[in-house]
Amino acid sequence: MKYETVIGLEVHIELATESKIFCSCSAKFGGEQNDHVCPACCGMPGMLPVVNKHVVDLGMAAGMMLNCHINRTTTFDKKSYYYPDLPCSYQTTQWFSPICVNGTLQIETSKGKKDIRIKQIHMEEDAGKLVHDDWTNTSLVDFNRTSVPLIEIVSQPDLSSAEEVVAYLERLRSLLRFAKVSECRMEQGSMRCDVNLSIRPEGSDKLGVRTEMKNMNSISAITRAIEYEVSRHIDALENGTEELVQETRRWDDIKGKSFAMRNKETAGDYRYFPDPNVMPIVIDDEWFDSVKNALPEFPEIKKAKYIELGLSEYDAGMLSESISLCECFEAAYEVCKSAKEVANWLISDCMNIVNKKQWTVDMLNLDGKSLGMLISLVMEGKVGRTNGKKILEAMFDDSSINPGEYAEQNGFIVSNDTSLIESVIKEVMAQDEKSVTDYKNGKEKALMALFGKCMRQLKGNCDPQLLQKLLIDCINKA
Amino acid sequence: MEKETLIKLEKLNQLRLDDTQKISVIDFFAKRDSEMEIINSIDTKNTERMVHVMPILTVVRDDVEKKLFTRDQLQKGAPETMDGYWQVPRLVE
Repeated sequence: MKYETVIGLEVHIELATESKIFCSCSAKFGGEQNDHVCPACCGMPGMLPVVNKHVVDLGMAAGMMLNCHINRTTTFDKKSYYYPDLPCSYQTTQWFSPICVNGTLQIETSKGKKDIRIKQIHMEEDAGKLVHDDWTNTSLVDFNRTSVPLIEIVSQPDLSSAEEVVAYLERLRSLLRFAKVSECRMEQGSMRCDVNLSIRPEGSDKLGVRTEMKNMNSISAITRAIEYEVSRHIDALENGTEELVQETRRWDDIKGKSFAMRNKETAGDYRYFPDPNVMPIVIDDEWFDSVKNALPEFPEIKKAKYIELGLSEYDAGMLSESISLCECFEAAYEVCKSAKEVANWLISDCMNIVNKKQWTVDMLNLDGKSLGMLISLVMEGKVGRTNGKKILEAMFDDSSINPGEYAEQNGFIVSNDTSLIESVIKEVMAQDEKSVTDYKNGKEKALMALFGKCMRQLKGNCDPQLLQKLLIDCINKA
Repeated sequence: MEKETLIKLEKLNQLRLDDTQKISVIDFFAKRDSEMEIINSIDTKNTERMVHVMPILTVVRDDVEKKLFTRDQLQKGAPETMDGYWQVPRLVE
C-alpha cells in the first residue's frame, strides 16, 4: 500500500529583544548561571508581569511577513506546567486570542511551489534550563532563559515530506531574519521545532495516529528524524511491529532513533485560563502602522530591484539573502552610484573579513554610507585598491571611521607627483638592471616586476596607469 | 468525577492523595457538577468573551535591559543552591 505523510510544525522563535517579555532582565543568550534574573522571572510571590512592547512589535512583524491576520485585541493565558524550570508552575502564553492567525508561507521544492497555511502565531515566555547532577542526584536550575520572549508559529498539517519541512524552515528563517524578528540561530536554540507527524493511505482524508518530536534544533537532524518516523509508522502499520500511540517522542541524533517520552497531552490537560495579571493588549492603528511601515521589502522584491540596477542574478541573490547586506548595499549605492562595485566589495572583500572574524552575515556592522565613500575614493583613483582594503578592515573594527580622513591620516592618498614617482622609478631601475635589459629585449613580464617594485616603494599610493606610463618612458630614455 | 479522571489529575498536578483525600475531592467535584450544569445552561452564544470585570488594558514598557538584583540577593532565602544554581529534587523525564 502507498502512504502519504502528514506533517504539521510548531516552531519556537526567540525574539531579538534586549530584555525579557515580562521583566527588564537581560534576554541575552548565555551568561553566568542565574545572572539574568529578578524576583519576577524567578516566580517570587507578589511580582507582577509588565509586557515588553517590542515583543508585541516583533510578534506583529512576524505575522505581517507571513500574511497573517493580526488580532487587534490580544490576551495572555496561563498554561499549567509543573517543572522547576518555570517557577510559577505555569507558562504565560496565548491560547484564547493569539496575536496572529490565518497566514500562509509559500515554499519551493523540487516539486514546485506550495502554500503552507499558518494556523496561528502566539507570544509566550521560554522556560529555564535544568542540569541533572548525577553526583548529588539533584536537578540544578538556571533561570536565565526563563521569560525570554518567544513566538510559536503553528502550521496546519500541510507538509508532506522532509524536503518540504526543510524548505519551510529555511524560508521561515530567511523571512524572520530579514524582518529582524530573530537571529533564528538553531545552534543557540533561538529557533526550535516540534514535528507532528502521521501517515495515512494515499488518497485517504482521515488522519493517522500522530506523534510529536520536540525541540529539534538542526535541519539535518529534522530530516533524519522525519525519515525515521515515517518508516517506523509504516513498519508498525504493515508488519505490526508495534502499536502506534499518540505520544511525545525524543529524537536521538547519535543513535538515529526516536524514543517515547510521554503520552501526548491534549489542550484540556494544560488547563488554560486567562491570566488575570496581564490585561488585554489593544493594538491601535498608529501602533499597527508603525510596525507595518518599518518592515523591509520581501527578499524577492529587493533581488528584482538589484537586477534592474545591473547586477547579475547571482550577485542580486547573494545580497538579498540578508537584510544587513541589503541595507549596506543600498546605503553605499546611494553614495557611489555603482551597483557592480558595491556588490563586488560586499560579496568579496566584506564577506572575506566576516568569515575571518567567524561572524554570521547578520553581524555585519559596516556603515553603508562610509563603504560608499570608500568605494568612491577607489573609483576616483584617490586611494589604491590594496590600501582601500586596509581601510575597509579598519572600518570593521571601528564603524565611526571616515574613509577619506583615515586615508589622509595613514598616508593612503594616491600621489600624482610625477617627480617623486620618477625618482622612485630611477632608483628601482638602478637596483634591477637585469629586468630593464630583459624588457628592452622583449620580455614583457620584466616590466611587471619593475612595476611591482615601484608600487611597493610608493606604498601603493600611485595611479597604476600613470606609473606604468612613466616607467615605460624612463626605460625607453635609459 | 470518575476515579480515572482523578488519577489523571493527580499525575498532571504532581500530587499524591491518600484514600480519604480522594473521597473528599470526588465529593467536592460532584457538588461542583450540579453548579456547572446551571452555568452551562446559560446561552452565551452572542456574548463577547470577558477578560476582566473592568474595561482596563495592560501597560507596556520599552525594551530596556536593567539589572536590579544580584544572584546572591535572590538566592539568599533558597533552601539549597549549588554553583549559582537553585538545587531541587532530581527531575528526569
